Amino acid sequence: MERIEVKEVSYSYQNKYQRIEAVKEVSCTFESGKMYAITGESGSGKSTFLSLLAGLDCAESGAIRINGKDLSEMDRDACRRNQISVVYQAFHLFPLLTALENVMYPLELQGISRREAKKQAAECLEEVGLEEKILGQYPKMMSGGEQQRVTIARAMAAKGKILLADEPTGNLDSENEAHIVEILKRMAHEMDYLVIVVTHNPEIARQADVCMKMKDGRMII
Amino acid sequence: MYEDEGWADDYLIYEEVYTMIFYYSIKQMFRSPLKSILFFLLVGVSAFLLALGGSLSKMNAEMVREFEDIFTTIGTVEQKDESVVTIAQWEADKKGYVYRRHGIPGKWISNAVLDFEGAGYMLEARQRPYFGARIEEKVRGGDSRYLLVAELTAEASDVLEHSVPMRVNKVLGGNLNVGDTVYICDHYGDGDGSYEPRRVEKGKTYIMELNETSPVHGPWVEHIAPEEYVFEYAATNSVASYQYTMDGDRVFDAMAETEDWNTFDEVTEGFYETERGMRWLELAKSQAYDFHTVPVEPVDGTELLLPFYRNEAQITEGRDITEEEYEEGKKVCLIPVELARILRKGVGDSLTLPLYYAAYAPTARFDGTFLTSILNAGGKAYPVFCEQDYEIAGIYENTSVMGGGEHDLAKHEVIVPWNSIPEHAWEDNIACFEPMSEGNTSFRIPNGTIDDFMEAWEKQGVEGLDIKFYDKGYSQLQAGIENRKLMAGIFLISGCMLAVMILCFFSNLFITGQQERIAVERLLGRTKKQCALSILTGLFVLAFAGTAAGGMAGWMATGSAVEATESTTEFDTTFSNTVIDSGDGEETENTAARQNNGAEMAALTGCMLMLTEVLISFGFMRQVLRKEPLQILGGLEE
Repeated sequence: MERIEVKEVSYSYQNKYQRIEAVKEVSCTFESGKMYAITGESGSGKSTFLSLLAGLDCAESGAIRINGKDLSEMDRDACRRNQISVVYQAFHLFPLLTALENVMYPLELQGISRREAKKQAAECLEEVGLEEKILGQYPKMMSGGEQQRVTIARAMAAKGKILLADEPTGNLDSENEAHIVEILKRMAHEMDYLVIVVTHNPEIARQADVCMKMKDGRMII
Repeated sequence: MYEDEGWADDYLIYEEVYTMIFYYSIKQMFRSPLKSILFFLLVGVSAFLLALGGSLSKMNAEMVREFEDIFTTIGTVEQKDESVVTIAQWEADKKGYVYRRHGIPGKWISNAVLDFEGAGYMLEARQRPYFGARIEEKVRGGDSRYLLVAELTAEASDVLEHSVPMRVNKVLGGNLNVGDTVYICDHYGDGDGSYEPRRVEKGKTYIMELNETSPVHGPWVEHIAPEEYVFEYAATNSVASYQYTMDGDRVFDAMAETEDWNTFDEVTEGFYETERGMRWLELAKSQAYDFHTVPVEPVDGTELLLPFYRNEAQITEGRDITEEEYEEGKKVCLIPVELARILRKGVGDSLTLPLYYAAYAPTARFDGTFLTSILNAGGKAYPVFCEQDYEIAGIYENTSVMGGGEHDLAKHEVIVPWNSIPEHAWEDNIACFEPMSEGNTSFRIPNGTIDDFMEAWEKQGVEGLDIKFYDKGYSQLQAGIENRKLMAGIFLISGCMLAVMILCFFSNLFITGQQERIAVERLLGRTKKQCALSILTGLFVLAFAGTAAGGMAGWMATGSAVEATESTTEFDTTFSNTVIDSGDGEETENTAARQNNGAEMAALTGCMLMLTEVLISFGFMRQVLRKEPLQILGGLEE
């Protein structure tokens, strides 16, 4: 049972011209078995909020607790290896590794033998509906939907049961979008993942178990 | 170097993880074969150029060092004759003048003019005197023919324009029998045409110094057949002194001012109590020393003596005097084989050298002539001014003795470090002074600096000196050496520049160009250290392979270059100031040594290249890892 508690988290950063207050005193709770959607306009702070949850940055104030442990006191690299997976709109697969190798990568990183990793990776890829012929293909040979499914399979292969997705369907057509959303929902409902999707797509928000909205760095719903 | 986040995480210590990092790093590197092969080849070319350039540079440096050992550049200085004069000399037996042409040097030029800025001496130019050392053993023959000092009673009254008989009354010096009749003639007259033979009176006794000159002639010897080869004597030296100062000026002696060089005296009652009489006694004593005198030449380096430089003189036993011994003025000496035999001495033995006069003339002159200034300005035989024991360091053999010219060594010449003799100790004992000549003024300069020397010398504007250089052909070789240096420099610099450019370009390509991979690896939970390892492992493996291959090729090319060099370069190694001992194996050893050096240099340049690669890559990696993954991905998406 995964649980993320966010309490009065704020974050700002300095760009070339000014200081941006990206996240302002956000408090909320996320639990496994549900798919959450965070919506909002561009610049509302939703992606920054997601990166704070992923431990890719540290909140300036407030606290993020994962299963009761304060993220700021945790080894955040280990946390990403063991608990949290992140999926992006631009897929971010290793371009020089095949689909299968991309998925095997986090498994081998956990110390699993190559043979076992291959087996598990193939299962993950099957889980996201990719055919066997795709396994040996490099990302540039695959469609966007296939690439995003490989990304999700890679997230599945990782140990963590928390999946953070930043605009996962942003580059996909509606058919592929529907497939991806279906997978994410299945992960939440059938595989007990805690899935948080940042999106500006109202259709995804509609399909989420919980929908939240951010505006000017604040969580307003 | 990097933040060690999560490094202690338990499972990360598993060997498998590192194997995996290595595996995926290499795998990804080989999946961009064009880039990888290009990188491998270009690194290889850099390594090749560096190894070749480095090896050639080192080889050149070694060759130059070898050349420096083999080649020596020396110069000799001679004061040119200012004019040539024809001298008419009376010859009594021909009853006429003979004409001889002589070169006349101009005003004496001090060797101080050779001390000028830009000369760059290794061994300074100095006009060397040689010293007379009086030893117990009789080392010169001819005492029955030359330098005889005797009282003679005239058997007839006559002018000495032909051989006049005189009876030997008393022998003060040399080998004559009392009671014998000898024939005296003022055979040679002065060159100014004022020949005026002297007259002797029958029954009067005269003291004179005699030298055998020519067969007897004239009315008093008609009974002597030519085939009897009876020779007459001529009065040769007077008791006048011709001593010199260190500046080459004559020390005043009233007698020398007023009388002829071959004046003789009538011996009367109490003559030996007079100043002239006492001088005759001193003269006789001094002339006797002459037969027990060996010339001692002080030098700053054996190579300054042309017979040694030309290898006409070689050390056959023992060793040469070392640079340090020369510099520190150690009491060591070199002696010729013949002198060693006469003295029954060998290497390591001690030789006492009581020095009693100095002559600023080439030592080669010692064997053929005798000093004209036998007495000092006080009318005394020159006293010993320095007596020291020398260890015989080496025995030499001079194959050019007699006939080698002004630069030759004397037959019994002893060579000592100049610094072993107290400075100016001989200033009151200078019996002869002549201008600088090839035989007694030489210097050493670094190889290849003749032009620089001459340029600096010409700026001095000194006329009247003739400077000759001997370099065994180094000047010709120098051009070749310079070409090689240039070639090695080009290889080395182009190798360095190419290496830096290649490493920067490819490090940028493989590191900055793989920011996405780094960001994703970080998203998957890799630490910065692991990310660096993942990216750099493949890069380093390729760089190492390229460096090894290029270095190896460079080494092999160096080997070929060495072989080519050995087969095309010939140089004159005839001079060695040590015992010459070169075998056929030496060349092979040198070649092998140079090839080993090539391997060392290839390894060294390879290490340097790898080190540069490590530094450059870490620099790029550090830049990339400074950014957070989101920053990188955000940047890429933009």
